[in-house]
Amino acid sequence: MAHDRPRIDIPDWERELERVGFARRLLRARKWYGADWWFVAISSLMVVGFLLLAAFPQVFAKYDPLDLVGPRLLAPGERPNQEVLILREDSEFESIADFEPDVRTRVAVVIDTPSSEAARDAADVATEERAAAGLEGRIRLEILRIETLDEALDSLLNGEAVAVVASSSAFGEVDAGYPDLVIAGPVSTLEQDATSFPLGTNQVGQDVLSRLIWGARIAILIGFSAAILSFVIGIPLGLIAGFAGGKLDRILTLIMDSIYAFPGLILAIAITAVLGPSILNIIAAIGVLYIPTYYRVVRGQTLSAKQELYVEAARSLGARPRAILGRYIFPNVIPSVAVIFSVNVADAILTGAGLSFLGLGLPLDIPDWGIDLARGQEFIRSAWWLITFPGLAVMLVVLAFTMMGEGLVEIFNPKLRRK
Amino acid sequence: MNRAHKLVALLFAFALIAAACGDDDATTTTAAPATTTTAAPTSSTEGTTTTEASGPTTIIIGTTDVISSLDSADAYATADWELIKAFNEPLLRFQPGSNSVLEPGIASLPVASEDGLSWTVTLRAGLTFGDGTPLTVEMAVDQLNRLLNTELQASAPNQVGNTLAAPYVESIEAVGDNMIRFNLLGPAGFFPQILAGAPYTIAHPDIFAAEEMNLLPEAPIYGLGPWTITSLVTGEQTVLEPNPFYDGMYPAQVDRIIVQRFSSPSAMADAVREGEIDVAWRILGAEAADDLRSVEGLHVETIPQAPIRYLIVNHSQGRVTALPAVRQALAAAIDRDELSDVVFGGAVTPLLSPVPPGFLGANAAFEDAYQSPNIQLARELLMSAGYSEVAPLQIRLGYPPEHYGVTTADGVLLVAQQWEATGMIEVETIGQEWSTYVSACTNGTVYDVCVLGWFFDFPDAENYLQPFIEGDGLGTMVLCPNPACEGVTAPNIDPRLGELLLEQRAETNLDARAALIEELQDVYAQEVVTIPLWLEPEFIIYWDWISGDPNLPNQRTLNIGPDFEFIYSVLTVNR
Amino acid sequence: MHPFVLMFMIFGLPAVIALAWVFTRGGDALRRYIVTRVALTLPMVVILVSVVFVVLRVMPGDVVSSTLGPKATDIARETIMEELGLDRPLIVQYGTFLRDVFTLDLGNSFVGARRPIIDELGERLPATLELIIPAALFALITGIYLGTRAAVRRKRPSDYGLRMYSVIVYSMPIFWLGLLLRLVFSVWLDWTPIAGRIDVVTNTTLERTTNLLVVDSILTANWSALGSALHHMVLPALTLGLVLSGVFLRLTRINVIETLQEDYVVAARARGIRKRAVTYSYALKNAMIPVVTVIGLQVAILLAGAVLTETVFNWPGMGRYLVQRISSRDFQAVQSTVAVFALFVALISLAVDVVYSVLDPRVKY
Repeated sequence: MAHDRPRIDIPDWERELERVGFARRLLRARKWYGADWWFVAISSLMVVGFLLLAAFPQVFAKYDPLDLVGPRLLAPGERPNQEVLILREDSEFESIADFEPDVRTRVAVVIDTPSSEAARDAADVATEERAAAGLEGRIRLEILRIETLDEALDSLLNGEAVAVVASSSAFGEVDAGYPDLVIAGPVSTLEQDATSFPLGTNQVGQDVLSRLIWGARIAILIGFSAAILSFVIGIPLGLIAGFAGGKLDRILTLIMDSIYAFPGLILAIAITAVLGPSILNIIAAIGVLYIPTYYRVVRGQTLSAKQELYVEAARSLGARPRAILGRYIFPNVIPSVAVIFSVNVADAILTGAGLSFLGLGLPLDIPDWGIDLARGQEFIRSAWWLITFPGLAVMLVVLAFTMMGEGLVEIFNPKLRRK
Repeated sequence: MNRAHKLVALLFAFALIAAACGDDDATTTTAAPATTTTAAPTSSTEGTTTTEASGPTTIIIGTTDVISSLDSADAYATADWELIKAFNEPLLRFQPGSNSVLEPGIASLPVASEDGLSWTVTLRAGLTFGDGTPLTVEMAVDQLNRLLNTELQASAPNQVGNTLAAPYVESIEAVGDNMIRFNLLGPAGFFPQILAGAPYTIAHPDIFAAEEMNLLPEAPIYGLGPWTITSLVTGEQTVLEPNPFYDGMYPAQVDRIIVQRFSSPSAMADAVREGEIDVAWRILGAEAADDLRSVEGLHVETIPQAPIRYLIVNHSQGRVTALPAVRQALAAAIDRDELSDVVFGGAVTPLLSPVPPGFLGANAAFEDAYQSPNIQLARELLMSAGYSEVAPLQIRLGYPPEHYGVTTADGVLLVAQQWEATGMIEVETIGQEWSTYVSACTNGTVYDVCVLGWFFDFPDAENYLQPFIEGDGLGTMVLCPNPACEGVTAPNIDPRLGELLLEQRAETNLDARAALIEELQDVYAQEVVTIPLWLEPEFIIYWDWISGDPNLPNQRTLNIGPDFEFIYSVLTVNR
Repeated sequence: MHPFVLMFMIFGLPAVIALAWVFTRGGDALRRYIVTRVALTLPMVVILVSVVFVVLRVMPGDVVSSTLGPKATDIARETIMEELGLDRPLIVQYGTFLRDVFTLDLGNSFVGARRPIIDELGERLPATLELIIPAALFALITGIYLGTRAAVRRKRPSDYGLRMYSVIVYSMPIFWLGLLLRLVFSVWLDWTPIAGRIDVVTNTTLERTTNLLVVDSILTANWSALGSALHHMVLPALTLGLVLSGVFLRLTRINVIETLQEDYVVAARARGIRKRAVTYSYALKNAMIPVVTVIGLQVAILLAGAVLTETVFNWPGMGRYLVQRISSRDFQAVQSTVAVFALFVALISLAVDVVYSVLDPRVKY
């Protein structure tokens, strides 16, 4: 294996690095940091994109995530089949609107097809038309759910059912065997019954894309809130512990180390299981997990900053601890915190998805990627799009934040820069 | 770095070799004498049948249920009962293909006394447990009395004696040297059906002591049934081997049955698809079952007479649902067809009455009363109760998110949408974890409506009515009776409910009884004691090479026994 | 022999021996450090299990219903409450709890047949071990190897490629990766089995002593069982291992880079020392020390990942057990399982710290 040959000569710009301010660093970053700049740039764009989606889901999502907008389990881009009404040749009816009102007319459909819904919707439409025309009575159906199309057609032939509703293509394949049966016409003439969905529909007929977009809102909300919670608690504790030292420091560190070492997901599971499903509880549970991370880093930085001459000087001059912390120590801490924050958000989103995947997450009517993944498991063979897209979404969001953190690490960490 | 390279290469090689060795088709021989060589079903050959010349036969049945109790005086879960009836035989059996005709089990068909207050059965001669212990009538009576032993019952989690013995039976005694007499608290025409259940098996006195419960004994577990449990790893696997002392109607047809547990229905579906198991049984959802229909060589059959799902409505004073008009509005606005189509793809059957079709006296009471979905009627009822679009009805709807499967959440959301479609109802849905949910549901203080399920203890209309209506009010499954729930006032419910319940129970003429049950259902629907939703089908999925007993009449469901029972003994393998 | 006892013998005994060896070999300072460190493990575990206790006992709800179900009578309720000690004041419960944990009296499960939890965990701990050990090995080997490569070739395309790999793999939800791998390898390609630890029928031929299938099958020379167990292990271990390898790759890379910046390495290079290979291996060995420490602490991620992986692959381990028990509100089981996790984590970090203190010449006490 060929070994890398390190360069011994150090370029000018690196030598100047120490003397240059933050803003200048940012502007000249591309030249200086090479490909790492791209890491941060691309991921920042992705992050901004996701934040926009999260902030304005109603702008980007065509449908309401809870509305049942289409037939179940429709593949991405697939158009629903046209449903037709099949009657015996000698039938007295010509359409669903012809059925006798207020009597349950038997219609046979095949299980696991949109036929039943199409038939019932047509009956509702017929009832409305009657009402509009001033007629009384409702068109009602008794739906016979049959396992195969052949059995359904047989039931029509032997008089058990008055009509069959099925997809025109499915009937087209077998109509040769049923010469006495005719297609009376399509069950629905509405355009919206023929639309396709870019990412398909889920197991109850909700639009996957809309759920994805609205899910971003929840994911990012949880991620940021949890990170902010950890931030707000962890940093002050770290500063105080690092600055004050002594017994307080030792006790706090012991507690923090214990929590840090412990498998976070498990603690989060326990907390959420106890508190119950709600957004606030998840945020609290995940927030608790990352407090030690901020604590440790900030404490470390505080400890080393405490030793700096200028801090000593300030102290001897009688500056109050709060001023010292705020003016000298805290600014040094910011770069590390920024890095941790972005990785923290990424982790929080992953943990949140894990929690809802395990079923310990959110209440029903909140569209969430984890829940979609959990439900999609059952359909792994028949409807691959149900787990692919939410999983991809989680991955991309987490990727964006992690990449940003990665890139920032390269940029900020002094130890990683060539001397 | 080269060393590391080598290490990595070694590991990959090892993994590959291991993967190659780990061919699940291998026949196995071991030093342990207990089990012998078998041919496992081939994993990747779907539908091919290879004839097995000779050698012992094994059938693997998949399930997602966990065995929680094998003590017949305690067990109250379907899976537990099924296994109990495999290694033990009840006093009576249901005739395969029917859910009402009884045949002798270890005892003859029961004979009722003149006043109907006692039933007597005669034990078969020569009954011997799987370890050779002969059965005496005193032993039998002692063991059966465990059901009536209140202290013993109180020490157990499921306490089936309090549900299926104490309400009906006063005492059990031996008569002569082979007869058992059950003295009842009151006449009950359906009592023999109860005797065909798992609680009325005679547990082996050495394993299940008369004074102590033994929920999960160590294998081997002996009984009077066609099988002996030779290995029991809870949550994973149960192994059954034939009982040589069994001489009843359903002797074992294969040398070994393994009941393998899967923690999720989709894992079980995959396993049966790949041929890793021969039969997939409870609980496979409609979705998975449908998926498997297209696999060649695999049979998918629907079994009716399965669990029902319904809404409990809170009748207690002070709740919004205390008003009959409100309850009726809720019943009217439900669209059962939509629930079935959207949530289950049409796989469940809408249930129009508390008693499911096929049981004596079942009718379509809720359909007759409301013609739901009937938004018009719902609105009228709500307005008569004082609600309107600007002052809507607020309903708290509770549900258990995991216990009945993940589809519950979808169903509840849809029900909420259906009620809100009236324009005069606002629904708040609340998920609550199962262990605390049921008592929250029935204590009358938490929810206005909640979702619950029910599977009969014995197949009679009585068991679909009694838990919900009792002699003088609502049953414990609807509202805990005072004073168990503090501060909850018992409502005024139509007294005809209780009266009709007792009348039909005592009625021996079937037609008259059916008429009473129908009337009862109609009153039930008017009062909206509960709102029945749907009947969930169950599925059994099995490979080409599995068949049942061709002599049994029920051709539709694998000839595996009565529609709701799975008798392992009838299974045979043809390979 | 009880699986737990066996487990302690397999892992605990060598650990104790190693500790003793280190103790006798080291100087005063080292000994003091080790003693302090061991002593600190105790409070660590206490804190963790206390957190668990607080979290679980504070909950609003009816523990008793989960045991008895809806048809319970009042007498039954009281009996159960007494049995579980729930009628005593919280402080007494806490004290009993601590005592139980430290005498390893893990109690009985509340649910179903109420088996002793130590038995249930004894059955499942080996399963979890058989998942996380191969996963950790895979992750370590891949992660360290690739991380070093990336560090040494910093800013080159392969570095960025590897960093992308590590970030992508880390960003994937474990359960999603597991589902996809299962779809591809078990469903479409049919190369690996669907679920479980071992083939159903082969299972009946295997005599289990430790419940570590690999060990048991070797002990009984049951080669097809060994093959089946390994075959079933591949996909779950790979899933967990892949995600972790990303983490380890990053950590290794950063630490190696830092080491390569160290003065002595730069100086050695500047002096043009012939045997750059020697320099590098010396430097890298030093780099490994902090890597090992940090990785040792990642056992937390390993356990958390195990929970999700076990759920996806129906692997009957402790992680899945925990999730199931939380769902059924089986507090005793949840407490005990988490306590065992805590002990696990504490012991491993203890081991890592001790090893680190011995190996790293720079550490001062």
